[in-house]
Amino acid sequence: MDIVRKQGVFDHLLMLEKAGTAGQEKQKQDHLKELHAAILTLRAKRERLFAETAALKDLKDKLDQGLPLEEEETDDFMQLEQFLLKSRLMQLKDLQTVYHLIGGYNLIESKQGKSVCVSFRTAFEGMYLETYNLEMDLRRTVQISRHNIPPCVPLERLAKEHLQADFKAFLEILSLHLNALAGRKQQVLLIKELIGTVEIIERNQLCNFLVFMCKIQEETEAAVLCTLEYGDLTQCLPTRVTIESENKTLAESPQWKKNQVLLMESPVHSALLTMRKVGSIV
Amino acid sequence: MGTMEQKLNEELKQLQREIEVCEAEQDSYVRSISLQHGEALRGVLQTLYNKKEKGDGTLKKDVSKLITDITDTEKDLRRQTNISGITLTECCVKTLEKNERKTIQQYRLTGHCCFLSFQVEFALVDIQDSDSSLQKITDLNVILDGAEFKDLCAFVSRVEETKSLFLFFRTLRLFSERCKQRSCTLQYFKEKYPDVVRLPEGCRSEVMMIQSPKLPGCTMSIFWKISVSKEGVVQPKLELLMKMPEQAQKMDTNNVMETAPEAFRSLLKIFGVEASIESLIKSVCF
Repeated sequence: MDIVRKQGVFDHLLMLEKAGTAGQEKQKQDHLKELHAAILTLRAKRERLFAETAALKDLKDKLDQGLPLEEEETDDFMQLEQFLLKSRLMQLKDLQTVYHLIGGYNLIESKQGKSVCVSFRTAFEGMYLETYNLEMDLRRTVQISRHNIPPCVPLERLAKEHLQADFKAFLEILSLHLNALAGRKQQVLLIKELIGTVEIIERNQLCNFLVFMCKIQEETEAAVLCTLEYGDLTQCLPTRVTIESENKTLAESPQWKKNQVLLMESPVHSALLTMRKVGSIV
Repeated sequence: MGTMEQKLNEELKQLQREIEVCEAEQDSYVRSISLQHGEALRGVLQTLYNKKEKGDGTLKKDVSKLITDITDTEKDLRRQTNISGITLTECCVKTLEKNERKTIQQYRLTGHCCFLSFQVEFALVDIQDSDSSLQKITDLNVILDGAEFKDLCAFVSRVEETKSLFLFFRTLRLFSERCKQRSCTLQYFKEKYPDVVRLPEGCRSEVMMIQSPKLPGCTMSIFWKISVSKEGVVQPKLELLMKMPEQAQKMDTNNVMETAPEAFRSLLKIFGVEASIESLIKSVCF
């Protein structure tokens, strides 16, 4: 009885195995068929593009030579219309890209004008940083429905003060806050990247409070503690700089008075680089 | 089976590369046509737009869609100009390098903000990795036109050094708003008190002179500077300078000439610019 049953099981297993490999074979064949089809499609696309590009080059040459455009050749003219429209659209799209690169807002309205989504680009010293988004409901009054603005930015207060009265002013001030935040964050990153010897003691989410320690000389323990407070959240520069050190005379020296001014007037990483160059820190 | 698949995949990749090259070539022809012949072709485009407006059925579907895209993009651009305060009159884009990972494009822009014109050139590097993307400005060049810009040299050098494109345009907008405000205020006072107020360098300058026709030698000059710090902080600064002929100086027992500038500064703090200037003007109108 057992042997018969086992045989049945083996047969069943053999059958499944055959079905499995047959399935794999079929899969491979299907895959090859797909590749063949894709290649045919791309070949056709390539031929079409080659022809279009040649016609486009002809058109460009004709225009460059100042030849009149013949409207009788209807087929050619249809193509010409398309090219002209494409060229005008490309020009406009370039302008759109540029506005995003220099100003940073991207506004997309929903189909019926019921809501609008605004993207805020941030950048600091040529490096593009995070993008934040805000969705606003336009139906009765302008209201913010969704956003990914970090909680440390006073969004509610700004919306209360500006949103209903002046949409443009609201966008501007929010962008200022976001860009300043991104700028302050980036400066801390740059300190770590460019000046490894400086130790960051304290910083916060809003990046408006920064304490770091600079070494004066290689071998000794002599160090200076700098505290930067950023009172104006729309700025990347501190409003107060405090210099402290165990060595009182050092902290009061004219060199460090100069350094204090430097830290007030330029971004942290630039100030520290200058200080290292003149030998104030290592 | 493996090698067959490999061969097909390679052919596929080759075709894709050829298509990319062809598309890039098309793009550059299209850009160059619109750049060099934009004006001439505008008439042809206008005919097409009119056809679409009238609901002409002869327009093919994709032509019609292109026209819709164009009008939508034009609408967005008008909004961008309004919100940013910056009008771009010319924009040239050139792709310097393009491969799977990295794209470098060069932009040259001409435009103006209020009545201040600029020309900006920069290169944008775009690197796309599998898990991160990076966009950076390299090579920034700024050319400014106009008398108002003589005080901006330090700021512009710093912006070019740090490639701070955003900061440049943000500051430019703030600066032109202040310039416009100054020009409107000066113009307003000139029109309200034509006998007393003189603008020796026009309403776009920094200087306003107040002189009563009854006291010819005595003039009050207001210098309205708009300074921009290296890091882009825009600050208007007003100063008062008084001139009196010697005879009048001898009679100046209260030392008005020396104390006037300081008094004006205090006045500004309390009453603001317009009220302070108005009170100065009124003081000589008797």
